[in-house]
Amino acid sequence: MAKKRGKQLGYAFQALATVIVALATLEATSLLQYYFSRKSIYEEATRRAEGQLQTTNLEITDVLDQVETTVRNNVWPVRKTLVHPDSLWSLARRIVDCNSFVSGTAIALVEDYFPQKGRLFSPYAYRNGDRVDTLQLGRESYAYPEKEWFSKPLETGEGYWSEPYFDTGGGEMLMTTYSLPVTDMQGRVAAILTADISLDWFTDLVGSIPEYPHAFSALISRTGQLMVCPAPALVMKKTVQEVAADLADSTAVRDIALAMLAGERGSRQVLYNGEKEYVFYAPIDRANWSMAIVIPHKEIYGDVQRVALIVILLQVLGILVMSYILYKAVKNQMRFREVSEKKSRIDSELRVARDIQMSMIPTSFLPAPGQTDVDISGIVVPAKEVGGDLYDFYDRDGKLFFCIGDVSGKGVPAALVMSVTRSLFRSVSAHEKNPQRIVSVMNESLADLNENNMFVTCFLGVLDLASGHLRYCNAGHNAPVRIGPGKAAFLDVVPNLPLGVMPGMQYQEQETNLSSGEGLFLYTDGLTEAENADYQLFGEARLLENAVRFGGEKAGAFVKSMAGAVKSHIHGIDPSDDLTMLAVRFTNPSPSTGDVRRLTLRNDIDEIPKLHALIQSIADETDMDHALAMSLNLALEEAVSNVMLYAYPAGSPGQVDIEAAVLDDRIDFRVSDSGVPFDPTVASDPDLAADLKDRPIGGLGIFLVKRIMDDVSYTWEDGKNILTMTKKR
Amino acid sequence: MEVHITESEGTMTARLVGRLDTPAATEVIREIQPMLDNAGKNLLLDCSEMTYISSSGLRIFLTLRKAAAAAGGHVVVEGLSNEIRQVFMMTGFLQLFEIK
Repeated sequence: MAKKRGKQLGYAFQALATVIVALATLEATSLLQYYFSRKSIYEEATRRAEGQLQTTNLEITDVLDQVETTVRNNVWPVRKTLVHPDSLWSLARRIVDCNSFVSGTAIALVEDYFPQKGRLFSPYAYRNGDRVDTLQLGRESYAYPEKEWFSKPLETGEGYWSEPYFDTGGGEMLMTTYSLPVTDMQGRVAAILTADISLDWFTDLVGSIPEYPHAFSALISRTGQLMVCPAPALVMKKTVQEVAADLADSTAVRDIALAMLAGERGSRQVLYNGEKEYVFYAPIDRANWSMAIVIPHKEIYGDVQRVALIVILLQVLGILVMSYILYKAVKNQMRFREVSEKKSRIDSELRVARDIQMSMIPTSFLPAPGQTDVDISGIVVPAKEVGGDLYDFYDRDGKLFFCIGDVSGKGVPAALVMSVTRSLFRSVSAHEKNPQRIVSVMNESLADLNENNMFVTCFLGVLDLASGHLRYCNAGHNAPVRIGPGKAAFLDVVPNLPLGVMPGMQYQEQETNLSSGEGLFLYTDGLTEAENADYQLFGEARLLENAVRFGGEKAGAFVKSMAGAVKSHIHGIDPSDDLTMLAVRFTNPSPSTGDVRRLTLRNDIDEIPKLHALIQSIADETDMDHALAMSLNLALEEAVSNVMLYAYPAGSPGQVDIEAAVLDDRIDFRVSDSGVPFDPTVASDPDLAADLKDRPIGGLGIFLVKRIMDDVSYTWEDGKNILTMTKKR
Repeated sequence: MEVHITESEGTMTARLVGRLDTPAATEVIREIQPMLDNAGKNLLLDCSEMTYISSSGLRIFLTLRKAAAAAGGHVVVEGLSNEIRQVFMMTGFLQLFEIK
C-alpha cells in the first residue's frame, strides 16, 4: 500500500512538474513578447507625438507667417498714409477686414508724432462680432508706450511677437501681437504697426492626436505662460514653472519646463497626480514658444496591457484545462496500473492454479521400470490457464485403474469440479475394483449439492494386467478408440448419463478382453471438435484414420503423433476447448487367462455338495491349505445358496452358474443367475458386539463372503446378477 | 450329518458328526428339536467331530442359544476345530457362546 501511495505521489509530482514547466515557458515567452511589444509601442507613440509636434509647429508657424506678412505688407501703406493721419483709421479697419485671422490691428504712433492729435495717437481697429470697430488706443488709461508690443520693436527696430496677454481696453481677449516699426519718408520711426491674433487660433491648431483620446497638448510662451492647455482656468494665469511648483514631485515637470523654455526638444516620463504620463516637447522657433504633448502611460500601453491581460487569462485558462486533462490522464494511468496489477496478480494465481491442477494429473507414465504388462501416456492441453479436463491412472493389485473426464464449461469453475472429480476417482477406487460401482459413487457425490449444474463426462476402466480383461463404465463420454497395430475402431460403449446429472442413476458396466498389443485411446471432445480456419472439425473419421496410422506406436509416441495431427489440422488457430488424450496399451506378452472351471447348478440346495467337490478339486490341485479351502468352500456356499434360496420365486426352476479362474496370484469366482435383480453386497454388516437378544438369526452368509474374499463386487448385466469374488493366493 | 442326542445328569448333549452345510441344516433343525423343547436345561453341543459349518448351521446354534436364554437354560459348545473356531470368531459367536 505504501509503495502504491508512493507511486501515486510520483505521478502527481511528475504531472505538477509538467504543469509548472509549461507555465514557466509560456510566461517567459509572454514576458518577452510583452517587453518587445512595449518597446515598439513606445517607439510608435514617440513617432506619433513627434509627428504631431512637427505638424503643429508648421501650422503655428504658418499662421504666424501670415500675420507677419500682413503686417509687413502694410508698412508701406501706413508710411504713405502718415501724411494724412485721419486716413490711418480706414487703413487699420481695412487690414482687419481683409485678414480673417487678424483680430485687431493698431497703428501706434510714437509719442507726439502728430502734435495736433495729442501725445498718444493710435488708431485701433478690431473685430466685434461681424463688424469691425475702431477706437483710439492712446488714452490716459492706456499708456501704450509702456506696453511690450510697442516698446520692444521700437527698441530693436525689428518685428516682435509679444508675450500672450489679455488685452484690456483693446481687444478684450487673450491674444498675442506681432508688432513692426514703421518709418516715415524721412527715415524716422513713426509708428508701430501691430496685428493681434487670438490665442483661440492656436487652441484649435494644437489639436488632439486621434490615436490617444486622453492625450493633451500644451503651448507655452517664452516666459512659460500657458497659452493653450486643457485647464482653461490656468491659461495666462500661471506659468508652467508655477504649475510644476504646485506638484508634490515637481522635479521632473520643472526639468521639462526648463528644457522647454530653453527651446529644447525631447521626451520624458513624469508622475502627474499619481498617473504616469509621457511628455513630448519641441520648440515653436518663430515665436520662441514651446509645445508639449502629454500622453497618459495607460493610453500608450493600454492596449498592450489589455492584450497581455487577455493573454495571461487565456494562458491560465489553458493551464487549467491542461492540468485537468493531465489530472485525468494521471488518474487513468493509475487506474490502468491498478487494473494491470490486479490482472497480473490474477494471472499469477491462475498460473499457480494451473501448476496445482497439472500436478494432479500423473505425468510419470507406465510402464514403471521392470514392468512389462502396460504402456500408458497422456497429455492435457488446457485452452485457458486452467481447464476442466482430466485423466488419471494408477495400478493396484495387478489392475490398472484409469479414467478420462471432461467437466462442462471451462476455466476456474470447471477446474474446481475437475479437481473434485479426480479426488473422487482416487478415493473411491482405492477400495473398489468395480468400475460401475466407482462411477455410481462418484455420480452420487457429484450430483449431491450440485447447485451449479456442473456435470462431468467420464470414461472409467479397470484393466486386469494379468489377463487383459477390461471392465469399463462410460458416463456420457466420447467412445474411446480401441487401437492395435494397424487397426482402430470405436469401443462399444453404453452412453449413460454424465456424472452429476442425476442422483441414483444406474450405470451399466461393460467388459472386453484386450490381447497383448491392443489398447484404448481416450480423448475429450477438444480433439474431435478441434476446428481449423475453415471451420472444419478434426472429426471422428480423421481420428480413426490417424489412430490406424499410429496404431503400432508406443503410447507416448501415439499421443504425440495424434497431438501433431491436431496441430497441423488447426494450423495456428487458437484451440477453443481443452484437449486431453490418454493412450493405454496392454502389453503383457503372455496373458494368463487362468484355469477356468465352470459349474452350473439348479436352484436346489441339494446341489451344494457339487460346489464342495469343485472347491475341493481346486484345493487339491493347488495344494491349498485346509483352512483356506474351507473358507472358500464356505464363501461359495453362502453366495450360491443365497441365489438358490432367494433369486427365483419359490418352486420355479432356475440355475446358478459358477466360474472359478485359478490364476497365479489369486482365484476369481463368478456367480451368476437370471433371477430377480439383487445386489447382496449392499446389505449392512451385522453388529458383532450386539447383545444376544439383539442379534438377528440371519444375515451372516454374505457377511462371511465379504470377510473371506479379498474383493466382492456385484453387477447386473444382460439380465443377470453377477457376483464376482476374488481371493488372493 | 449325523446328530446324536443323549441325556445324563440333567445335561442334554448333542453330538454333531460331519458337515453342517446348507442342505444338512434343514435336517439338523428337525433333529435338534428335543433340545429346543428342553431349553431350560443344561445343553451341551459336542462339535469335536463337526468338520464344517455354514451360516445355516450358525443359525441353528443361535436359535438354540436364544431359546435357552428365554427358558433360563445354559448352552455349552465344546470341541471346535480351529477352522470352525475361526468362523465363530468372524461372526462374533465366540462372545455369544460358552466355549469349552
